[in-house]
Amino acid sequence: MSSSNASTPGPETRTADSAKVRSLGAAAWASVAVALGMMLFVARVDDFNGPIQKIFYVHVPSAWLAYLSFAIVFVCSIAYLRTESRRWDLLAHSAAEVGVVFTSLVLITGPIWARPIWGTWWQWDARLTSTLVLWLVYVGYLLLRGLSTDPSRSGRLAAVVGIVGFINVPIVHYSVNWWRTLHPVGPTVADPLNNSGFEAPELATFFVALGAFTLLFAWLLSIRVRLGRLADEVEARALAVEGVRDPGPSPRRPPRPAGSET
Amino acid sequence: MSTTAWMVVAFLAVGAGIGGYLLSISARTRVLNRRLEELRGRPPHP
Repeated sequence: MSSSNASTPGPETRTADSAKVRSLGAAAWASVAVALGMMLFVARVDDFNGPIQKIFYVHVPSAWLAYLSFAIVFVCSIAYLRTESRRWDLLAHSAAEVGVVFTSLVLITGPIWARPIWGTWWQWDARLTSTLVLWLVYVGYLLLRGLSTDPSRSGRLAAVVGIVGFINVPIVHYSVNWWRTLHPVGPTVADPLNNSGFEAPELATFFVALGAFTLLFAWLLSIRVRLGRLADEVEARALAVEGVRDPGPSPRRPPRPAGSET
Repeated sequence: MSTTAWMVVAFLAVGAGIGGYLLSISARTRVLNRRLEELRGRPPHP
């Protein structure tokens, strides 16, 4: 690691940061409550698919946040490889973790919608398969970080995975246009009425849900970054007190002593 | 199962996913804070 202490702010900064994070959390949860109310009581029930179509209001924002997370990983990974600053590495790692959470939500809510509508949980079509590959790439990114005992080396390797893995994001997004898939094309921000039958209440609900989930994402990312800073502080202090690197909260296998390999 | 029930299952799954992630962050924070307190009470390595 190039500079553990560089990402560890002083007590005053930490108190101000905590207040901002708390406010962001309160705003995020309040907007999620408003969005949930709109999903249930403002957006009308779809004539063709029934109430299950309302999954759309959590599925699409989750997919958007997965894209956003991995775009942050991509940008921060480039910045880390150029500067070796721990700040970028920590942001990339945190965004990857939050991105995996949102991609998991996409992969859970999609099949729940598909089961009653398509009559099957899963189809190996281009959109679903590329999304699963996206999830696997970033789970691999997190495993790579968790398994290595050398944070600097794992940071550089993970940055390369974060840059290369991002190639899959446009593939996931445009898969419904490039290949014939079962997955609906659906509305986009650029073309919100595309095939959707949406009118004002549905569009308002969609954009409120998108905003609420984005605030939730920003809050989750900020608390994950704070956790990373705390881990850096523990590691720096362990190095000062014990003269060894702290293994962190997740049990990592310590390096084998020389000559113990059998 | 009705499509309303599937919708409820999906919303609960989203809630459980985000809640589970928050619990994981909270558990890791607690472990690190405990470790930090423990290290603060010890003198620096000679």
